[in-house]
Amino acid sequence: MGGTFDTAVESAWCPGCGNFPILTAVKKALERTGKEKHEIVLVSGIGQAAKLPHYVDVNVFNGLHGRALPAALAIKMANPSLEVVVTSGDGDIYGEGGNHFVHNIRRNPDIAVFVHDNQVYGLTKGQPSPTSDPGWTGSLQRSGVISGPFPPLAVAVALGCGFVARAMASDVDHTAELMYQAITHKGFALVDILQPCVTFNKKNTYEWYGKMAYRVPTDYHPSDRQRAFALSLEWEERIPVGILYRQERPSFEEVHPGVGDPPLHARQTPEEAIRALIQERVLTLP
Amino acid sequence: MGIDINIRITGGAGQGVHTVGAFISCMAVAAGYHFHSTQDYMSRIRGGRNSYSVRMMDIPVRAGRADANILLLLDPGHLSHFLPGLHPKGLALSDTPIVRQTERVTAVPLKELAASAGSPILGNMVGAGIVASALGVSPDMMDRLLALEFRGDFLEKNRKAVRLGSEWASGYLTEAFRLPPAPFRPRMILAGNEALALGAVAGGCKFATGYPMTPGSGILLGLSTDGPPLGLVFEQAEDEIAALNMAIGASYAGARSMVATSGGGFALMAEALSLAGMLETPVVIALGMRPGPATGMPTRTGQEELEFALSAGHGEFPRAVLAPGSVEEAYTLAFHAMETAEAHQVPCIILTDQYLADTSVDIDPDGLPVLPVRRRIVRGAEVPRNAEGRYFRYALTESGVSPMSVPGEPGITVVADSDEHDEDGHLTEDHGIRVRMEEKRARKEEGLAAETLPPLLAGPPDGEAVLVGFGSTKGVIAEAREILAREGIFVAAVHLRQVWPFPTGAMEGILSRYGTALTVENNRRGQLASLIRKETGRQVAGTVSRFDGQPFTPEGVANEVKERLWAERSTRR
Repeated sequence: MGGTFDTAVESAWCPGCGNFPILTAVKKALERTGKEKHEIVLVSGIGQAAKLPHYVDVNVFNGLHGRALPAALAIKMANPSLEVVVTSGDGDIYGEGGNHFVHNIRRNPDIAVFVHDNQVYGLTKGQPSPTSDPGWTGSLQRSGVISGPFPPLAVAVALGCGFVARAMASDVDHTAELMYQAITHKGFALVDILQPCVTFNKKNTYEWYGKMAYRVPTDYHPSDRQRAFALSLEWEERIPVGILYRQERPSFEEVHPGVGDPPLHARQTPEEAIRALIQERVLTLP
Repeated sequence: MGIDINIRITGGAGQGVHTVGAFISCMAVAAGYHFHSTQDYMSRIRGGRNSYSVRMMDIPVRAGRADANILLLLDPGHLSHFLPGLHPKGLALSDTPIVRQTERVTAVPLKELAASAGSPILGNMVGAGIVASALGVSPDMMDRLLALEFRGDFLEKNRKAVRLGSEWASGYLTEAFRLPPAPFRPRMILAGNEALALGAVAGGCKFATGYPMTPGSGILLGLSTDGPPLGLVFEQAEDEIAALNMAIGASYAGARSMVATSGGGFALMAEALSLAGMLETPVVIALGMRPGPATGMPTRTGQEELEFALSAGHGEFPRAVLAPGSVEEAYTLAFHAMETAEAHQVPCIILTDQYLADTSVDIDPDGLPVLPVRRRIVRGAEVPRNAEGRYFRYALTESGVSPMSVPGEPGITVVADSDEHDEDGHLTEDHGIRVRMEEKRARKEEGLAAETLPPLLAGPPDGEAVLVGFGSTKGVIAEAREILAREGIFVAAVHLRQVWPFPTGAMEGILSRYGTALTVENNRRGQLASLIRKETGRQVAGTVSRFDGQPFTPEGVANEVKERLWAERSTRR
């Protein structure tokens, strides 16, 4: 115990799991925001990555597999002053929850989404995930993955997501920096995190990512959508890490006519207002 | 017998059947009478064969009737379909050309007259003018009613169409349907779906979402119209799975939340329903039933989801299931659902159906109770904290209900997990804690059961037979009972407003006092009959069942009950 957000909850991760450095980065990024624990909500689905919120001393909503985003959206709508951060796995966000990923990027709520992308279903013991490389053999596709990989960053850029970044779990400081940028970005901010699964993914290892990953150049301007799209498709030869695309647009909470202050739990239901609604429907002759 | 006139307007989607139906309903109220209207429509955007029936009486009307006294056909091609539903002394008015003019059918040049009023689409309002003339509603009154609906140039065209219709009719029609003068009383005109949404708003609903699906969409429309002035936030979800997960998220953040859907959408919500059970988040689900399985008959009515509503969602968790039987009850039970869900921290399902959804009636505005909303969220000093200052969302209590706070409350965190969890909300695999938590959740069912709304009994306190229904059949059964009583057959009727927790004690008492119990259900299997047998161990002789997608009529129920009772009597002899 020492950090602001440390908890005493026992970890359920494998020794050497890529989730550990991600947890460290999440805590660093949250600390840097200066927010207090009651002002933050960590939302997740199901999977090993989705257990992360339990290891951070903030508000936690650990819902159903694939359904972190709908819950996160509604929490933000109910109380926009809360800092809502989603942290879950690639199967959760891109697979089971793919429809919510697409439509919440369209909505653009002011939430940060951290996807622990290890290209494998770990908790269910080694099945391929939406981002598994073709040919990779998992426990349910023994002759190798046939489907093409889901390109999360390209999809996000295509949908006009205002903050699209890739991090590498092993680089804690850089990951924390990207997370901080995502949290402070106004709108839906995606950070896809290359996360080695030391137990089930013997291809996309710390070493492999180390060889493939490169930082986007310092003179790269992430506001150019066409360039960002091209960059977001790089994978076979080398993998860009950093902020690929960044563009401010109004957030969902700003444009939604009902969302704002006071939070929904504090809104009243005056009886006079209900009586007025009833009276409106009374047929009176002019 | 007093006044009882059933007017049926028929036509294709897009011909203004709904507009003229609603307008004729207003006419009834303006003339000092009561009405009950129902709709029957096909699943399409334009065309097809739809109808809107408005039944007018000098007493409040609780059900529709099978036969029509006045049939107004905007599409002459529908004549052969609807003519069998015309009362023997009824009047059919059809647009031209009609194949065969008979004594019962009068050809009316609706389109022609509409064209001279300025637009051929006003044929429906020409028809309204004819109906007004038949009822004896004055042209001046018609002008005033039109002014409530239309403005400017469109108002003038509508006025002209109505006038041309009534001029055409004068001298042409019998006086059989003339309404005697009656004093005007201000009445509220409300449909089942609107009432349900209004009741939820009155019950403090502040977050609503859903994915459009007939017949639930009308509830979403009501919530998104009436809610925002009272601070309700509405968002259309990308699918029903998102919808209920969103409502649960908002509820976690302290908002009273609801969704509305139909059977197929509810099927998609089943996992999230179980989540609400586990997280103990209050949430209300309006389930508009229609005939299934699968897509079934999308715009027609049924009561096939009783068992599904009781059992949906994996695992064991408490829930409340309400079943409003009238437009007024749709309002009062939606309010009650909001209160119950929060008081017991459970999901609460409101079972409605297409028939009730699209039923409109006139009601006394003072008949809708406006009650204070009782929020139970703990804030500030009310938040229980342990020695280390921590708040436990799932603190073990005698009632099973734990004090519920919200994220954002200074000094504490709120932890909710779909995994089995300890009092602090963090996941656990400890079997002992599992048992304690499962028992805690189960205790809430006892509290819920103690507050189950008792069934409503009408008719003789004991005797030969009792009819039992849930939900939208209430009014039909009530009138069927009166028809039977006029024929010397005295039966009682029970309406179940709440089907879960089942009012076991009350139902055992009632059933013990009658020789024969019959359920009346818009499904084939008799799901309510099974539930009664299972929960009370008592016999139910059978089910008056209808599953063709249409609502019961009082005459239909009365006839079948008569046959069943004769059969019962002969077997007993």
